[in-house]
Amino acid sequence: MIAALLLAQIVTATPRGVVVAHDGRIELHGRWNAQGVENATAVVAGTDRVAVLDALNNEAVIAELATGKTTRVRTAETPVGGAFVGNQLYVLTRDGGELQGDFLRESKGLLYVYSRVKGTLSEFMNGRVTRRLQIAPFASDFEISGRTGYLVYPREARIRTIDLVPMRVTGTVAVGAVPVDLAFAGGGTAITARILAVADPSAKRIWFTEGTQSTFEAIARGFLRGFLGLGLFGSRASQFPTGVDRVIVRDKIWVAYDSSSGTLYRFTKSKSSILAKGIAPQAFAVTADGVVYWKDGTLVAPGKAR
Amino acid sequence: MKLLLIAALLAQTRIASDFEIAQMEKQLAHSQAFEAQLSGRLNLGDLRASRNELSLARAEYTKAYDLASRERLEARRDSKMTRYANATSYAALAQAKLGRDTSAFELLEEATRYVSDDAETWNLYASAMRILGHPRKAASAARNAVALATKPLDVAIYQHALATALLESGETDEAERLLVTVTESLRSSKFDAVKREAARTESFEIYSSARGDVAAYVSLLNRAQLRLASLYEHRGETAKARTQYERVLEARSDDVTALTALGRWDDAFEANPFSMSLVREYQRYLRSHKPPVPDAVGVQRALVQLARGETRAARETLDALLATFPANETLRTLRREAEPTTTVTLPRTNPTAAELRALLENFEQLTPEQRVTLDQTTYTSNAVFDSASVTNNQTTFASGTIDGIPFRFSEPMIFAGTFGVNARLTYRILGVARDALLLEPLGVQP
Repeated sequence: MIAALLLAQIVTATPRGVVVAHDGRIELHGRWNAQGVENATAVVAGTDRVAVLDALNNEAVIAELATGKTTRVRTAETPVGGAFVGNQLYVLTRDGGELQGDFLRESKGLLYVYSRVKGTLSEFMNGRVTRRLQIAPFASDFEISGRTGYLVYPREARIRTIDLVPMRVTGTVAVGAVPVDLAFAGGGTAITARILAVADPSAKRIWFTEGTQSTFEAIARGFLRGFLGLGLFGSRASQFPTGVDRVIVRDKIWVAYDSSSGTLYRFTKSKSSILAKGIAPQAFAVTADGVVYWKDGTLVAPGKAR
Repeated sequence: MKLLLIAALLAQTRIASDFEIAQMEKQLAHSQAFEAQLSGRLNLGDLRASRNELSLARAEYTKAYDLASRERLEARRDSKMTRYANATSYAALAQAKLGRDTSAFELLEEATRYVSDDAETWNLYASAMRILGHPRKAASAARNAVALATKPLDVAIYQHALATALLESGETDEAERLLVTVTESLRSSKFDAVKREAARTESFEIYSSARGDVAAYVSLLNRAQLRLASLYEHRGETAKARTQYERVLEARSDDVTALTALGRWDDAFEANPFSMSLVREYQRYLRSHKPPVPDAVGVQRALVQLARGETRAARETLDALLATFPANETLRTLRREAEPTTTVTLPRTNPTAAELRALLENFEQLTPEQRVTLDQTTYTSNAVFDSASVTNNQTTFASGTIDGIPFRFSEPMIFAGTFGVNARLTYRILGVARDALLLEPLGVQP
C-alpha cells in the first residue's frame, strides 16, 4: 500500500501562536477559526497578520492574528510565496504579475526575488526593481542572512553566495551530493562564519558547512580561531535512515523532513530520531517551544525543546 | 438470439483505439521496466477515456499513480534523485488525470526542486496543469520546456504543448504561429529519417505517452495537425481546416476527429462510436438532416432513433449495446437521455401524431388513474394498414400506422365489408407492444 502525500495542510509559527491552514479553513490554534482558501499551497507569516495562498485558484486570504478577521484578494497567476514589509504584503507569483519568480526573501526592507529558469536575482524597493543580477539558474533554495544571499544548486552540489550590498557573486561552496535545502545553524559571530545546515537527500545527511566569507572576514576569523585555540566541529554530518530534503533550524531545535515518505526528524550534529511519519510537506513548524505538526486533523506538540 | 447476434456484430466492429489498446496490453505483459509499465497504464487510461469508459480509465490512472509512487520511494532509497524527480512528475500527471489538483500541484513542485533544468519535467508540469484546467500555468511551464529543449523533436513536442495551452488561454495568434511551425517542421526533410522509420515499421498508433522517436513523431504530427485544423475551423477558414484534416487522414484513415470534422459519419462511427464529441456533433447534424435509421445496431442507430423521437426504440438499441459495453459512459449518458419524460398527457379523442408518439414512448409513466381513463376512452384516427386481406366480403387487418405512428392489434382482426389499406379506425389503446401501440379495434370505416 502506497501512502499518498497528505496535502493542503500548512502549519506556521507566528508571534501569536501556531496557525494551521487546512480543509478550507485558517485556524489560530485555540483562538479563532476562519474561512480560508480551497487549496492552501503556501503561507506567509508577519508580526500581526498571516496570508494563506492558493496557487491553483490565484487567491490569498489575509487574516489578522489578533481577531481572525480575514480579507480575500485575487492575485496574479500562481502565488507561491510572499513577505510582509511593514504593513504591506508582497505576493510572489510565478506565472504573471509584477513580482514574478520562484523565491522571495526580505532583508532590511528590501525584497530579493530569484527566478530559477531565467537565472536572475532581482532586488525590489517599494515594489520596483532597483537592481538585477544574472546568476546561475536552477537553484532549489534561496536564503538570506545579513548581507549575504545563498543559492543551493542540487545538480552541481554547490552553494553560491552573493553579497547583496554590491549585488555580486562572492563564491561557491561544494556541499554533499545533491544539496536541496538550506537553513542557518548558528555562527555569524565575530569569531565564526555563518554555519549552513544543508539537506542532502541523496547522501541521507544534513551537511554543516561555513558560508563563504569575504577575504578580510576569513583572515580575521581564522586568526581569532587560531588565537583562541578553537576549531570547527569534528562530526560534520548527521545520518538519517531516509533521505531528508528539508531542514529547519530555530535556536537549538533542528528539524529535518523527508518529502518522499513524509517523515519528520529531530536531529543534532551526531544523531537523528523520528518525530512523526505521514506528515504533509508543510504541515509542521518550529516554534519557540518546540516542534508542532498537523496529523489526522490534530495539531500535535510532542514536548518542549530540550 | 438477437442479443447474441448483436454481440457478434459488435465484436466484429473494429474501433480505432482497439489496436492501441492491444498494443499497450502487450507492452505491459512484455516489459516490466518502469517507463514501459507507466506509459502503458497512462495510454490505456487515455484510450479508455477517449471511448468514454471513465471508470476503466480511472482504474488505469490509479495503477499509473501507484507505479510512480513505488518508483519514487525506490529511487529515493537508492539515492537516485533524478529518477526520483522523474517519478514524482509522473505521479503528479497521474494525479492530474484523476482530477486531484492539490496533490498534483504539490508533486510537481516537489519534482521541480530537483530538476528545474529538465525540459521534460516542465512539459509534464504543463500537461498536468492543462488537464486540471489551468492553461496559463500550463503555458508558463511549457515555455520553460521550450526554452530548455535541444533536440528538434523535443522542441516540436514542447512547442505543441505550449500552443495547446495558449489556445486554451485564448491566445490564438501565438498558438497558430507555433502550430504552423510545428507542423511544417515535422513535415520537413529535417525529420526524413524518422519518417522513413515510421513508414518501414508501419507505425500509425497515436499515444499520449509515446515511447521512442517514431511513436512520438507519429502522435505529435497527428495532434498538431488536428489542433491547427480545429483552430482554422473555429475561425471559419474551412478550406485550410479541410487541408489539415485530410493530411491527418493521409497518415491515419480512421482518425475519428478528422472524420467527424469532414462529416464522414459512417467512417467516424466505425472508428470510435463512443467518442462523445462525435456523438454531439452528429446530434447537431441530425437537427437539420433526417437520414434513415441504420440497420446495424450501434450508437449511430440510437442517435437517429433519438432524433426521430423514437426513444423506446433508442432505449432498446442502447440496452443491447450496454450489455456488451457496460462501463461505457457514452452509452450510459445516451441511455439517460433516452429515458421517458416524467409527465405524460393522455391523447385527445382525435389524437395527433405527437400525442400518440408521446404515449408510445412514455407509456410506463402513466399513473393508475390515467390508465383507467385510457381504458375507458374511445379514439378515432385515419389509419394506414400494412395490408388488407379481403375474403368473402371480409377484410383482415393486423397492423399499420396512424400519422406515421406504428400500431398493431393483439391478433389479426376480421371486419365485415371490403376495405382498402386507408380507413378510419375507431379504437381503444391497450398498451405498447415492442415499438408499436397495441390497439383494440372497435370499428372501421372507409
